[in-house]
Amino acid sequence: MASRIPQFNQQVLYDTTPLPDSIPKVKELGASSAPLMSAAYFIGARCRDYNDDFMQCKNENPGKGEFECLKEGRRVTRCARSVIADINKSCLEEFRKHWTCLEDNNQQLWQCRPAEWKLNKCVFENLGLKKEIPDQPPNVTPVHLRKQMIYAHWPIPRSAEPFVPPTQTGDNNKAPAAASSSS
Amino acid sequence: MPQDMPPAGGYDAVQYKRNLPPSAFKPKTLLAFGGLIMVYGWYHLFHGIREQRELAREKMWSRIHLIPALQAEEDRDLVRRHLADVQREKELLGDKAVKAYHSDRYVRPTFAITPGKIIKD
Repeated sequence: MASRIPQFNQQVLYDTTPLPDSIPKVKELGASSAPLMSAAYFIGARCRDYNDDFMQCKNENPGKGEFECLKEGRRVTRCARSVIADINKSCLEEFRKHWTCLEDNNQQLWQCRPAEWKLNKCVFENLGLKKEIPDQPPNVTPVHLRKQMIYAHWPIPRSAEPFVPPTQTGDNNKAPAAASSSS
Repeated sequence: MPQDMPPAGGYDAVQYKRNLPPSAFKPKTLLAFGGLIMVYGWYHLFHGIREQRELAREKMWSRIHLIPALQAEEDRDLVRRHLADVQREKELLGDKAVKAYHSDRYVRPTFAITPGKIIKD
């Protein structure tokens, strides 16, 4: 067994033939998992409609969605790309801090709350996107705004303040409705 | 010769009981004490599980927001490879290429055919 030659399909599966010219080109996201996870809620906030369109198209074309939904897919990618580009433009430092923290902590969001709050604040002030978890149960502080994380390795320093977007109270009831109608 | 007789006043009572000091806590107290510790643990467990569920929901939604973007990228790659396959097939077989499946659905290829000449960019 030890003499078996390892086969890595990344090397075997090279096929660099580009898409035909009839299909418009789009630049891929080009972000790895931690930055994507860090920006996920902002992507969700801005690109919700595109995302829903794409998923609906995939749903309505079972077995053919790969070809039928290319246009929607390009829109989704372009939108997500724009979000990451905007965050990079205005909140690069906070963004980088948060995703390096995620990278160092097994991508566990609860280990990086202070960095996340700073990023959320910056993104809300510059891009107007806010992090909101849909279907939030009422009368409970959303988990990303709690000052104590039970499972975190280190307690959150007292100087860190959770960032609550100004219109948090008004939107709390709207989020579940939007989530249920779009599925 | 005089016979052996019991000592005057009779024998001492046989000691069959152990003279251990009484334990510091009564069994009921111990039970209640253990119960209290359990309740305290359950209290924390309750809150811990609640927080875990919320954290899991947070993570799921972050993934839900990302799925379309990831899927779109994957789909584009699949389409690109599929079209390249079709093109290669056409070059090899001309118009004699036969559909492998009796259906219009896209089937992810089991075996990947890679080009003999790889152009790396």
